[in-house]
Amino acid sequence: MSLLLNLLGPREGFEGGLFLPDFKQATSRRPIENVVARDPLRVPLQVSRTMPTKPEVAVGDSVLRGQRIAALVGTASVSVHAPTSGRVVEIDRVWTAREGFLPCAVIEPDGRDTAAPCNRTWSEESMVLQLAEHGVIVPAPLMPAHELIRQATQAGVTDLIVSAMETEPYLTSDLRTLVEQHGRFLDMTGELADALGVHHVYFALPYRHRRVVKRVCAEAAGRHIEISPLSDRYPQCQPNLLVKTILDREVPPGGTPLDVEAVVVPLTTIRMAADAVFSDRPVTHAIVTVAGDAVEHAGTYRVPIGTSVRQLADRVGLLAPVRQAVWGGPLTGIALTRDETVISADTAAILLFSQVHATNPVPCIRCGWCVEDCPVGLDPAALVQLEPASSADEQTKAHLKTCLDCGLCSYVCPATLPLAATIHRARERFCTTSSHSSGGA
Amino acid sequence: MKADARTIPGGWVALAAPHRLGGSTHLDILRSWTLAAGIVGLCGTVIFGASAAKVLLVAMLSAIATDCIVGYARARPVVGGLSHASLTGLLLGLTLPATVPWYIPAIGSLIAVVFGKIVFGGLGHFCWQPALVGRVVLQLLFLPTLSLSLHPTWPILAPGHLLVGRLDQPQRVEMAGYGGWFAQPHDANVQALAMERPVQTLRAFAQGRFRPDGGLAYEPLLREKLPPWQDSIFGLVPGGIGETCTLALIIAGLYLIYRGFLRWQMPVVMIAAAAVAAALLPVESGGNEGGYDWFPVFAVEQGRAVGVAYVLYHLTSGELMLGAFLIAGDMTTTPMRARGQALFAAGVGVLTIFMRLYGVVECECYWSILAMNTLVGVIDGRLRRRVFGMDEEP
Ligand code: SF4
Ligand code: SF4
Repeated sequence: MSLLLNLLGPREGFEGGLFLPDFKQATSRRPIENVVARDPLRVPLQVSRTMPTKPEVAVGDSVLRGQRIAALVGTASVSVHAPTSGRVVEIDRVWTAREGFLPCAVIEPDGRDTAAPCNRTWSEESMVLQLAEHGVIVPAPLMPAHELIRQATQAGVTDLIVSAMETEPYLTSDLRTLVEQHGRFLDMTGELADALGVHHVYFALPYRHRRVVKRVCAEAAGRHIEISPLSDRYPQCQPNLLVKTILDREVPPGGTPLDVEAVVVPLTTIRMAADAVFSDRPVTHAIVTVAGDAVEHAGTYRVPIGTSVRQLADRVGLLAPVRQAVWGGPLTGIALTRDETVISADTAAILLFSQVHATNPVPCIRCGWCVEDCPVGLDPAALVQLEPASSADEQTKAHLKTCLDCGLCSYVCPATLPLAATIHRARERFCTTSSHSSGGA
Repeated sequence: MKADARTIPGGWVALAAPHRLGGSTHLDILRSWTLAAGIVGLCGTVIFGASAAKVLLVAMLSAIATDCIVGYARARPVVGGLSHASLTGLLLGLTLPATVPWYIPAIGSLIAVVFGKIVFGGLGHFCWQPALVGRVVLQLLFLPTLSLSLHPTWPILAPGHLLVGRLDQPQRVEMAGYGGWFAQPHDANVQALAMERPVQTLRAFAQGRFRPDGGLAYEPLLREKLPPWQDSIFGLVPGGIGETCTLALIIAGLYLIYRGFLRWQMPVVMIAAAAVAAALLPVESGGNEGGYDWFPVFAVEQGRAVGVAYVLYHLTSGELMLGAFLIAGDMTTTPMRARGQALFAAGVGVLTIFMRLYGVVECECYWSILAMNTLVGVIDGRLRRRVFGMDEEP
């Protein structure tokens, strides 16, 4: 198997894309480090504004690590748990990168980090319930894991793809997780496949990390899981392109992999689910890559949810003043403007840069790099000329919906035009209003 | 140095994703291109002496001055800075012979910048390569000075006088019996040699102006009318400042390909297409019957594959190499995609040889690049990429 892999090289499934300089050397060899909570944590009481919960703690209560502090309400929501033991000193609100202000409980750690007693037993029927109860989520698009399972079952998916691909520069949280605890992920993948009733299971991981691939291949022997080592060409990590590469199915414009009877589950979700189902550990920490040229001890950290970026920066040390902070990957992430933003369960990376890659747009010089590199075959240079127009035709709308927001076009553009951002704006303008009007007509 | 984490609130910058960029800006492209053209210009200066440097400098300064003055008059900053103007001037200078009076490059650059670039709206908006626009207008304006058919011989520095010699009083050398530039004696009094341009000889040959010599057509052409082939590799034949030195052009082109600013398809396909065209298109045989001689590449005379040598001469003479490596690859005036550029290059290569063999226009490569520039919109429209998940082929 491994010899064959070496000879054949990774699968190449889509046109375009680019091998980016990945800046992972600093973090990819350092083991995941635990960040111990010392300062008060501001734990959001719900994961997202659309996932309502009922708080179960009041000011003055003491909590244990893993104790539920907010119970889910309705079906499409998850519970929230305390990341460490301590005392609730305040109920307030807190800023999160993706969801804005959310209600939070301020927990002052007592330093003992006592775990709540483990009282539930595992049974296959209740797996979906357990996922919701333990706060397991899918980071992108943000939704509860059991909700994805429900949608996938409804869509009658035949193929499950577990993705450990991280093709964006700097990110190493999936890679480190995979290196340190690979066995249980395959177990969990098998459980998930049984729950979904799929025919084929694929495990996508970066071909370049040959040793990890070999280890996972050895672990997977005898299971019905096909290991798919893929090339690092960005943006191979996008679910639509994974489906294209592994299954050779193309998701229609604006669709999701569910439309072509496949479901892509990120490794983060599998990790949370394995903890929840096998060890009865709820989601209380996020595995976060902290990197960037301003960071002194770049690495992958296991950070209690509710830690603020400022606390995290204190913990890792800074080499230079930070000029730009990014939540998530450098190509698709969100720029942070407040250092009190907290780490939430869906955080994969915090990047602190001492330099801003400023743009200075000039007219398009028709180099064609954006056209050649776009992973879905769009012509970004033409799409952005739409900006001042008031309407777009059906084909253009379909093109706008096909864009994956991977940011590659802006990355390569020598005229430093904000192509990806403009296309994103155009899609929000043209595609959402059109669906309203067509719905009314 | 260890910074205090409290320095964070000092203004984090909020920009839309992506937050890191590839880092090659249009200025990098223009500067690398200018560097590549500069390498060729340097070799041209060595081969043609100080007057070549003068032509290049005048062309660059005139282009920069024009851009600045027009930018100042319209009170708006010049996009692309002075890099684009100096590149345009440099490329224009490379296409001119070193013997032209100073006002020709000056006027050419002015035309190139004003009518090639500014009337279209500046950087990124023109559809014909500005330097070539300037060049062909010069060709029409100053026909008596620039025409090859009016001036049979052109000068080049003699051995021992490279870089410092003067081109004023060249010594006429006859091609028959010319053993090549390296075989010329070092003579303190002969600073320059005058001979025919190989491209003009090839053109005359294709039009049947040479009598076949007892059934041999190519053999006399190669032996008595053209300089040895290695001379055209080193650029030691008359021609435009940047047109002759094939070696320098290849190095400049490889540098641009290495930087990723020139797609390899452009020079490779262009030269391959020119080779195919030269190999297949018929030449007037010049015999008594006056017929056409098809497929010259297969010509074998006295047991030698003279046809192949004939094709190689076509590739290294004239403007083809300069066009392929430095001028045709201009991003703004070529198709977006690599395969579009390959089509474009194939068109330029074939048109160049076609015009050389049958046309009367000179600067055939420049005219064919301009002609294909006109078709860029059509090529781009034809060669769209298939959009992911959509069935219809555009
Ligand atoms: S952001 Fe959209 S248009 Fe730009 S390269 Fe990615 S998919 Fe293509
Ligand atoms: S990458 Fe930028 S400059 Fe190049 S074609 Fe696309 S929009 Fe134009």
